[in-house]
Amino acid sequence: MRNSFHTSTFSKFTVCLALAGAAAGLASTPAHADATLDKIKSRNKIVVGVMLSGGPFGSIDPATQKPVGWNFELAQQLAHDLGVELETLQVQPSNRVQLLQQGKVDVLIASMEWNAERGELLSFAPTPFYRVGGVAIVPADSGIRRWEDLRGKEVCISQGSSYIKPVSTEYGAIPKGFKGAPESLLALRGSNCAAAVHDATLLNPLVASSPDWKNYRTITPELIPGNSVIWVRKGEQDTVVAVDRIIQGWHKSGWLIATEKKLGITPPSPALPELHNKYKNG
Amino acid sequence: MRPADWLQATVASLKAAGLNYEFLLAASERASFLHGLVVTLELALAAIVCSLVAGLLLAAMLVSRHRWLALPARGFVEVTRNTPTLVQLYCAFLVLNMLITEALKLSGGNPLTPFLWVVVVISLHKAAFHAEALRAGLQAVPPVMLEAAASLGFTSTRRLWLVQFPLALRFALPSLVNNLVDLVKMTTVASAIAVGDVTYQAIMIWSQRDNVLELMLLLLLFFSLLTWLVNQGGRALEHYWRIPGYGR
Repeated sequence: MRNSFHTSTFSKFTVCLALAGAAAGLASTPAHADATLDKIKSRNKIVVGVMLSGGPFGSIDPATQKPVGWNFELAQQLAHDLGVELETLQVQPSNRVQLLQQGKVDVLIASMEWNAERGELLSFAPTPFYRVGGVAIVPADSGIRRWEDLRGKEVCISQGSSYIKPVSTEYGAIPKGFKGAPESLLALRGSNCAAAVHDATLLNPLVASSPDWKNYRTITPELIPGNSVIWVRKGEQDTVVAVDRIIQGWHKSGWLIATEKKLGITPPSPALPELHNKYKNG
Repeated sequence: MRPADWLQATVASLKAAGLNYEFLLAASERASFLHGLVVTLELALAAIVCSLVAGLLLAAMLVSRHRWLALPARGFVEVTRNTPTLVQLYCAFLVLNMLITEALKLSGGNPLTPFLWVVVVISLHKAAFHAEALRAGLQAVPPVMLEAAASLGFTSTRRLWLVQFPLALRFALPSLVNNLVDLVKMTTVASAIAVGDVTYQAIMIWSQRDNVLELMLLLLLFFSLLTWLVNQGGRALEHYWRIPGYGR
């Protein structure tokens, strides 16, 4: 497994180990074609990093303390289709890449859209399972009507979010990065920023149905709409192929559309019927 | 060589060694990192001063003969000392701050900045530890000395501040410096609520560039330097305040 890391990450990893005084024994692990899939099969278990930032896309059921929502449903179905057991690990935007690279999780289903930088760092199953962009949430009485109105204003955001770059460079806002979306949203409610920018999939349901958020509204159009994909460690091609085949199957059978409806995700994504039509005959 | 060339050469040679410090060449990231260093210094200085003042008052309350002063102080010390700083910070900034804001209908410019909350929480947290260290010092002053002061006509307040406290400070100084070293390291909790301290800036940079190790090394060096300075300052004070013939 360790030999399959991206080269620069691997060198960093070894330096890290040397610092910890624990370098012995790891550098000599023999090579495998695709260690992730081997590991999944040999343990009969897949470890999926899921994001549970609240709302229908992923949260913790207060009654049972179990993860629920879109990310978790997909993780369950992925394990089911691979014919293995499922173990999930809750990840944050700030640590998900590290957890994947360090092998703490096998794949990430973490509301993580494709972009060129991430594509350099990690491998991914190319068929997207969703399409999502960022929206801003502001108090209903705020003067902010368009993205351009954010210039010079402080914006609460998650550390590691892909919206940091566009809000700061395109719209001149000052990003304030919190550990995760819950902290960022609480800071917005404490008036410590003019707006919060997160995935539309997180914010739309809040404004639509949460009584706590009835005095807030969202700013559209979606910022850098991107394809949500399942991420694996760099170069794990066998895993990519296996996962991608499963995702195409989900589109073909319409399972994703059904799951979206089952979880009450509104508005429904136009991307899912598009992809369903693309794969239903393939 | 001009400084810019020198920086470029250093970054290039570190890159050859497998360390990616390229963020230092990007003006905006370099500026935010340097600003982070300044913010951490400001946080540490503000919290050191506030925590010492609050600790002193708390210690005076703790040793007071009046129960209405001593009991609340004892309660505060126990609650503050026995709960994690990060939890206190989240409670203060995310919950208390939100409730205050919604109650006062403050919208837009909130005067209670995250920076202020961090200074308040760290100062009060460390004040509890200072108070206990000072209490140890106050109680280590020999009773005969207090009796001698009383016989010279000092009131109990004047005796506390002019006799007992100067000696207590000397006894407590090593513990206080210990607390201050911890305080400097504690400023990193500011990153959790997006105060732009050096840890926060490092997280923002590494979450975009994935150069965690490189920034961790810088953070370690920076905090080692800061705590070393605090320690040196403490030693210098110990030397300056020593009473020849008293103790060591």
